Amino acid sequence: MAAIKLKNIVKSFGDTAVVKGIDLSIEDGEFVVLVGPSGCGKSTTLRMIAGLEQATSGDIVIGERVVNDIEPQHRNIAMVFQNYALYPHKSVRENIIFALRRLKVDNADIERRLAEVSEMLQLEELLDRKPADLSGGQRQRVAMGRAIIREADLFLFDEPLSNLDSKLRSHMRTEIGKIHNKFGRTSVYVTHDQVEAMTLADKVVVLHDGYIAQAGTPMEVYLNPANVFVAQFIGSPSMNIIEGTLFNDYLLVDNYRLPRKQLSNVALQTVIDQQGIPVKVGIRPDFFNDSRLFPETDNTFNFTGLQIDLIEPMGFDKEVLFNLAGEAVKARLDLRSELQRDQQIDLVVELSRVLLFDSETDQRL
Amino acid sequence: MLGKKNIKGRIGFAIAILLLVSFSLLPFAQILSTSLKHQYDWGNPSLIPQSINLDAYKELLGLTEAEKVEIPAAIQKILNNPKLSAEKKQAIAAKYTANDNLFPFGKYMLNSVIFSVGAASFSLVFSVMGAYSISRLRFKGQVVIQRSVLFVYMVGGVLLMVPLYQMAMNVGLASSLWGSAFCLFLIYIVQTLPVGMYMLGNYFRGIPFALEEAAMMDGCSRKEAIIKVVLPLSLPMLATVFIYCFIIGWNEYLFASVFLKQYPEFHTLPLALQELFVSKNAIWDRIMAASMLTLAPIVICFLLASRFMKGGKTDGGVKE
Amino acid sequence: MTPLERAEARFGWKLVAPTIAILGLLILYPLMYNVYLSFFDVQLNGSKTFVGIENYIKLLSNSDYYSAIATTSLYLLGTVVGTTLLGLAMALLLRDPFMGRGLVNAAIMLPYVAPVISVVFGWQFLFDPISGVVNYLFVDLLGLWSERSNLIGDPDSALWVVVLFDIWKHAPIAYLLILSKLVSISRDQYEAAAIDGYGPIGRFFHVTLPELYFVLATVVLLRLIWNLNRFEDVYLLAPNVETLPIFTYYQAFTGVIDQGLAAATSVIQLGVLSIFIWFYIKKIMKW
Ligand SMILES: Nc1ncnc2c1ncn2[C@@H]1O[C@H](COP(=O)(O)OP(=O)(O)O)[C@@H](O)[C@H]1O
Ligand SMILES: [Mg+2]
Repeated sequence: MAAIKLKNIVKSFGDTAVVKGIDLSIEDGEFVVLVGPSGCGKSTTLRMIAGLEQATSGDIVIGERVVNDIEPQHRNIAMVFQNYALYPHKSVRENIIFALRRLKVDNADIERRLAEVSEMLQLEELLDRKPADLSGGQRQRVAMGRAIIREADLFLFDEPLSNLDSKLRSHMRTEIGKIHNKFGRTSVYVTHDQVEAMTLADKVVVLHDGYIAQAGTPMEVYLNPANVFVAQFIGSPSMNIIEGTLFNDYLLVDNYRLPRKQLSNVALQTVIDQQGIPVKVGIRPDFFNDSRLFPETDNTFNFTGLQIDLIEPMGFDKEVLFNLAGEAVKARLDLRSELQRDQQIDLVVELSRVLLFDSETDQRL
Repeated sequence: MLGKKNIKGRIGFAIAILLLVSFSLLPFAQILSTSLKHQYDWGNPSLIPQSINLDAYKELLGLTEAEKVEIPAAIQKILNNPKLSAEKKQAIAAKYTANDNLFPFGKYMLNSVIFSVGAASFSLVFSVMGAYSISRLRFKGQVVIQRSVLFVYMVGGVLLMVPLYQMAMNVGLASSLWGSAFCLFLIYIVQTLPVGMYMLGNYFRGIPFALEEAAMMDGCSRKEAIIKVVLPLSLPMLATVFIYCFIIGWNEYLFASVFLKQYPEFHTLPLALQELFVSKNAIWDRIMAASMLTLAPIVICFLLASRFMKGGKTDGGVKE
Repeated sequence: MTPLERAEARFGWKLVAPTIAILGLLILYPLMYNVYLSFFDVQLNGSKTFVGIENYIKLLSNSDYYSAIATTSLYLLGTVVGTTLLGLAMALLLRDPFMGRGLVNAAIMLPYVAPVISVVFGWQFLFDPISGVVNYLFVDLLGLWSERSNLIGDPDSALWVVVLFDIWKHAPIAYLLILSKLVSISRDQYEAAAIDGYGPIGRFFHVTLPELYFVLATVVLLRLIWNLNRFEDVYLLAPNVETLPIFTYYQAFTGVIDQGLAAATSVIQLGVLSIFIWFYIKKIMKW
């Protein structure tokens, strides 16, 4: 097991920079999820850790070693690939123990570990089949088995669940979580799915266009996004971003005046002149509440008389769309709120949940 | 779905297929038929022999008893002369028993096998290495090599016969038996290598990179990944490429005639058959039987390879 | 470049080195050496004297050379058109599965894989003036010709026998190429065209042909490339049909040997071939 440090990693393919300077340290035993939209450089970063891709500049340290010039096979890393990459000509058993065979682990030990892994992943029945005869979910489990049977310093996952249907995906997600809890190995997990990121990670690293947009615990990135990108990427449905103007005493959104004092951690301490400053206001749909169910307090603000444009019932939840400062804004209410289209509604928001972003740089204020 | 549902359509279809198959197979049927006919039967346009004659095959395969040629009495006397050395006696006897009608088919076949299997083996090894390199590894100059291979793949042997012959002459290889054979062997490798590179390159490109990467994650070096993952996965294609290279060598006439014409003991089948055809020993049944026997290994290879033929070779045409 | 990338590049070069050496030494070098030789009077035993462009002058004033060019052009025209059309017909005929398609496929592929040497004698027998089936068919059975003739013996008619032989032998490869494209045309297109009121012929011209345009061009170009250099198929079946490769072979190795002249022929031919290959690489491979 090992801690990992990425020091100012840059990767270009030809002239196009794909990873543009990443600094990251991962502690021993930590489960880190790299998340971001497709094409943002997640796989490339992971593959540089694996040694399958060479960084253009910067250092990668695994444990005590700078591994830049160490070949992938000597880095003692196990990896689960997106398309599983099972050896088609080998049986499930041979696929799983391939690495151990190479390491000349003795047979009794191999058998013991194989039994343990195949029980954990329910592969006992499948050991003699070829990958072609397995379903997608089974292949995925074999790929997992092939990785965890090794006592590698580091586990890498590149979107391991993206080829499964949604039910199987959430099942396997839970399994991966359990496995990590059991072995506690350092893991780096790449996904574009923020649900996987939130549920699995000790630390979420949000990548955006080759940079780290934010790194932190799942709750940190959810509650305290560092910028508009993270705010909108994490959480579903994604955060509403509304134009507003900040004045000395209040925040003006549409024609609502939210008291500035109670707004969440506004670091901006300057005195604002007469015209105010334009800002982006972020409010998660989940943080709107029906005022009939949640009485107004000192710490909340009541958006009164909102006209409902659309209601999307989801069972327990419903998503309600209305217009605020010219934007279509979404609120998620639960089934207790009985609503109709075109009806008016009052929604309360805890003022500390209202986030402000610089309208130019998109960074948190 | 659409079309050919009715009876007329079906009959037309059946006739078209029949014509097509007959056109394709007629020459083969003719060869087989003539090889089995007696001489009196040759002028008969029917493909079915009046009676089967296997003599030609027996002769070519060496199954006939070598005809005992009577040694004339006068010569016998000389042979009995004790003063003559055993060596001389044998030479004399050989002269009188020699059967220069004989067409040593087995020997030619062996020559052909040696040349084509040998060259195909070398070609396969080199083309696995080369094709892997240009299709899977990243280095400068790769693209240039790829294009050059495609180019030389399409340069026919005719354009090379003069310079290659002159080069062989210059280094003194063309004037000796083994030198000529060596040249021919090299030339067969050269003629088959681009084909192998081309077919295997396309095939390797289709094997997901992730498989090799998985092998490296499992602790294999690049070489081990090739040996343990890429090659086992490519076995059918390797067999196909080998067979293709083999067929090219087996069919080759031009360079064999340039380099080996004056060395009958090294003649390959195409050369030997052509020589036989223009010689006084040309008899239709013998020629046709020899044709059949030359064809047989190819047909067998083809049937073996046809299972794997669906991919690779259809996307650009194979060296012909 | 990082050390690992350098190691990969080194490994790449190491693997490809034997191939480069062999192909360079025995194809690229000879092609250049050929150009060199074309400026010399070259004997079979290797002795050379510089003659400048005399070989080219001799060649261009040799009427046999022009007749070889004419023969080659006819040969190319006949084989390219014939092979492409027959290949297309075969592909259309055999597109939909039917019982025994595997066997039919194997049968029509056989000419393609058979060694030339093993089939030319069968062809010669077919066209034999005395015993051959062709004369029997056209003279005795159908009465189309008034007398038996030696079709292969006469260079003019032999050319068409050679063309037919090439079509017979290489239509299968055209068929494979065309078929692989044909089966990839989606059924929807045909059904849409049928709904728009097109019959089978209309569908062929409005759906099939436009889709096949590219693969047909490929077939034509490949036929040109391979057939420009075709030697065995012509020489072994009818050595009296003097296409360029056979003309060159005769110059180089038979009768009055003039290898310098043969080299000059090859140089010009390589030039033409290179144009075809360039087209192929640019337009078909899209490099
Ligand atoms: N081998 C390569 N050559 C050139 N560009 C590449 C290569 N691999 C990835 N890229 C580019 O780098 C960017 C990031 O890719 P990747 O790391 O795979 O993204 P993702 O976050 O979806 O995993 C993409 O725009 C991709 O096109
Ligand atoms: Mg990716």
